[in-house]
Amino acid sequence: MLLFRSEEHAANWCRLRSVELGAVLNLETLWELSKAWYGDRLRPDWRRRTRDEMHELFASLGLAEPFWRFD
Amino acid sequence: MDDGAVRLHIYRTLASTGRAPSALETAAGLGLYQDEVEAAYSRLAAQRTLLLMPDSHEVRMAWPFSGVPTAFRVSGGGQSWFANCGWDLFGIAALLPGDSLLETECQDCGESLAVRITNGQVEGSGMIHFAVPVAKWWDDIAYT
Repeated sequence: MLLFRSEEHAANWCRLRSVELGAVLNLETLWELSKAWYGDRLRPDWRRRTRDEMHELFASLGLAEPFWRFD
Repeated sequence: MDDGAVRLHIYRTLASTGRAPSALETAAGLGLYQDEVEAAYSRLAAQRTLLLMPDSHEVRMAWPFSGVPTAFRVSGGGQSWFANCGWDLFGIAALLPGDSLLETECQDCGESLAVRITNGQVEGSGMIHFAVPVAKWWDDIAYT
């Protein structure tokens, strides 16, 4: 997962490598995703989320496309 | 053998020092034998909680922290850390109690990108690109 100045820069990076443009998020959505995904890693009771929990987390941020599914 | 205690020791050491502890250091910290801790590191890696360097027990990734230097740098409170990718920059910031500065480069043009997290708010411009669909993340996690 790489940062770019803009979607145009990401698209250019993809074009040069002959890979499809994947999912693009703004920094505010990325920050919300990061807090939800990683915010509990220093807790003693941390455990890996189930696939359903991961899908729910993504969906809560509007990330409901097939790209964001583990199955 | 409590793998959760080993995991927590690794994470707390990374958070407080920016460095991943060796199995020997974790053993000393928890009062365990080194071979017990190496076995725990291997189990945690098998569970995809850690990524170890090839043929060793050195931590390469304990998400969002990187155990090795990268082009993704976080600083705050007089400490600095390396992240594994653009997402993990923000992941480390999410684990820190105070403000932080996230630094990397635009992977297209090489221009420096700096984002500040101040009072829980994002200050900076740019965007992130997820190249690999979630279902394929673990096909090649280092690339992902």
